[in-house]
Amino acid sequence: MSHDSHHAPVACKTELAPERSDLGLYRPDRATGLIDWLTTVDHKKIGIMYGAFAMLYFLIGGVEALAIRTQLARPDNDFVTARMYNQLFTMHGTTMIFLGVMPLSAAFFNFLVPLQVGARDVAFPRLNAFSLWTFVFGAFVLNASWLFEFGHLAGWFDSFAWHKALVYTDFAPANGWFSYAPLSGTFGANGQALRFTGVGTDFWIIGIQVLGIASLAASFNFICTIINMRAKGMTMMRLPVFTWMTLVTSVLIILAFPAITVALIELMFDRAFGANFFNPSAGGQPVLWQHLFWIFGHPEVYILVLPAMGIVSEVLPTFSGKSLFGYPIIVFSGAVIGFLGFAVWSHHMFTTGLGPVPTAAFSLLTMAIAVPTGVKIFNWLGTIWGGRIRFTPPMVLALGFIWMFMCGGFSGVMHSSAPADSQQQDSYFVIAHFHYVLLGGVLLGLMAGLYFWFPKIFGRMPNAPVAYLGSALVILGFNLAFGPMHYLGLAGQPRRTHTYHAGNGWETWNYVATIGAYILGIGVVIVFGNLVWTAFRGKKCGNDPWDGRTLEWSLPSPVPEYNFAQAPVVATRDAFFEHKHGAKKIGLENDGGEAGVHMPSQSWMPMLASAGFLFIGFGMPMMAMGIPHAGWLVISGLGVLFLGIWLWALEGPGGYMLKTPAPSGAPAPAETVAH
Amino acid sequence: MSDHAAAHEAPTSTGIDHKKLIMWLFLASDCMFFGTLISTHLLYRKLFPAGFTDAEGHQRFIQDLFSIELTSFSTFILLMSSFLMALAVSAMHKGQLKSFRRNVLGVIIFGLIFLGCQVFEFTHFYHKGLTIQNSVLGSTFYVLTGTHGTHVAIGVLWLILLYFYSFTGKLGGHMGALDVEVAGLYWHFVDIVWIIIFTAVYLVEYLGPYGIWGSGLPAVVK
Repeated sequence: MSHDSHHAPVACKTELAPERSDLGLYRPDRATGLIDWLTTVDHKKIGIMYGAFAMLYFLIGGVEALAIRTQLARPDNDFVTARMYNQLFTMHGTTMIFLGVMPLSAAFFNFLVPLQVGARDVAFPRLNAFSLWTFVFGAFVLNASWLFEFGHLAGWFDSFAWHKALVYTDFAPANGWFSYAPLSGTFGANGQALRFTGVGTDFWIIGIQVLGIASLAASFNFICTIINMRAKGMTMMRLPVFTWMTLVTSVLIILAFPAITVALIELMFDRAFGANFFNPSAGGQPVLWQHLFWIFGHPEVYILVLPAMGIVSEVLPTFSGKSLFGYPIIVFSGAVIGFLGFAVWSHHMFTTGLGPVPTAAFSLLTMAIAVPTGVKIFNWLGTIWGGRIRFTPPMVLALGFIWMFMCGGFSGVMHSSAPADSQQQDSYFVIAHFHYVLLGGVLLGLMAGLYFWFPKIFGRMPNAPVAYLGSALVILGFNLAFGPMHYLGLAGQPRRTHTYHAGNGWETWNYVATIGAYILGIGVVIVFGNLVWTAFRGKKCGNDPWDGRTLEWSLPSPVPEYNFAQAPVVATRDAFFEHKHGAKKIGLENDGGEAGVHMPSQSWMPMLASAGFLFIGFGMPMMAMGIPHAGWLVISGLGVLFLGIWLWALEGPGGYMLKTPAPSGAPAPAETVAH
Repeated sequence: MSDHAAAHEAPTSTGIDHKKLIMWLFLASDCMFFGTLISTHLLYRKLFPAGFTDAEGHQRFIQDLFSIELTSFSTFILLMSSFLMALAVSAMHKGQLKSFRRNVLGVIIFGLIFLGCQVFEFTHFYHKGLTIQNSVLGSTFYVLTGTHGTHVAIGVLWLILLYFYSFTGKLGGHMGALDVEVAGLYWHFVDIVWIIIFTAVYLVEYLGPYGIWGSGLPAVVK
């Protein structure tokens, strides 16, 4: 065979002989630098790229948020037009949810899950790369709509004939992150497909569709990894809680995303081919869109929050010096939240008039879902109760998570009461609620995770004083920005409205909220800036700076590409903590690791297949816009996608052997513990 | 290749191969996908039980449109293709490559017959006046059955590739049998979904004296 040389273990992959795949193409195994990153199948590098893209989009979404707050700082302001405002709040929500929080969670899934279950990679390394690049291209398509908008504002398109056909003027999505029909859909009988909104909606449809494919592929992969690749002795009830929450989140994704996939297909058929799914003139029911969207949309809320809950469940025990209080109950509550998450979607739709029985049922279930959430909070309190608490940056952020998330939970339970909800619907009260959950909760939790695992990811310790300053500004600015919105909402200020008149008593608190938003923005830049600086220049730290509890802390920092030189054998929960301080040691499996570890080969094909979505992503909106021959772009995209998958299948997994350091008989002992 | 493949045969925690597990997960997800599409169709059937109005403005009943004989035939063909698929998987497990090829060729041909019937059906319905644009029924019917047809087409393409791949000599052993079995899982699932669609979209229209929605053609006229 042509690649026999790949069977001899090498110390570093750059020493590999060139390998031809079964197709006769060279595999990029020996590549370093950019090509290495573009073709990598290493879950750690993929996780880092997910995290980097997520931070970028957090900043873009943050700029959109600040533009919104600047517009609302004063009554009757004209900082942006109403048209631009619609695009800003739509892209703010879409960006933060699909391009900020979800990929940042995916970054943690990628980096941590194989390490925490004691595996050398995910179950399908190339599929993992495919998820990453599909996300990157989907995010690009979604945001490219801004380029069209700016081009339109600058008048670049005026000379094109097709531009005159665009009577609707928003180029970036402008329907809100939920894109309710019929606003996002069509009207007019017999396939006229007249539209309320412009090509931005088509970009939104195809962008979310592509991002959904990325999330689905990643979730299949993670479930496989968690169920199938656990180290010996790592039973389900010994899994770290973060891995458990990843499992629940992934199950939610594979069961919830199909609903939005179908809804998007139906909406796309309405807009591009004149179908009548949501067209009221032809009998279509716009309320069906709401149902389909929220059958996905409510589980999505838990898809966003459960990873953060998992992170906090790792951070709190570490810095309290205690094991997690009520581990089985926390795991069970997470699973119950996931299950009930599918049964509460209509609480987003109380004002559509569902009738008394469904309204009562969804009210009750919504109240019920507060129970497992409350159980988790009490368990976290039980964890820190009586512990030796170390107020490190991750701990400060995790405690902030509990406090802020609880506030969001309280206003959330208020929404479960249908009569109260119909008063709060579409007001700033709702905005206050979900920002307390998603920003005060999820973002603080994710930031805690970043500060917690950064030393493991890069082997460098973030600067603590800067981290405290950033965290304090985030928590202060956040409360200043969103606390007043509770009042504004109850005082009647409507959502999604680009301005308000003076004299409603809303001026002061809007001004305060805007000041808070800017403080929050500065805080986020400090928190993220500190991390970026740490990644390149931070002070080097040991392998286990926090006195960690789970398997990843037993590895060198940064983690070598093969993760575990020899597969660990686990005897208890919190295996590494017990190994250091208790009687139950981590064993080593004699899996032939000393002869070299088998590494999967790198590949261009996942990225090639994903690139098909780039063509489809630009082709579909242009086709819906009526640009001639745009359909060929879609067809060529499908061709690229097929070609990529075909070559991917034919090239085979490949692989080479990597030498590992001589096993010392036991994992490295704990190093200096920071107190 | 075989040495590399060996690394992927490492025992898993559950004893189920990764590829088989991920296919089951995909099918679970696909259940929700088709569930949503079928629900959409049934919801609109309940809301607008009367059928549709064709280009000339005539009220048409859905029983006017359907040719239950043709659809029963294509359903039977698809069921039999599943039978052949099971034989192909079994042959691959026994390492009988020739038998595998014969059976998988049968699956491909039956799949193509099914797709041919669907193309005929779509053309026929279109000429009888049902379009994707002129009614909600047209939208839900074409998108639901068209999505299923796309699944069948992907399956046929997959099996054609496997068929030709088997001539390279690389399809064999445990991994080869696993690859075929995973394709088989997909094929059986697509078949089962069709059984549900055939029941929920076609057969129930013939229940009761005026169809299940109570406003179809009287059974005697039919």
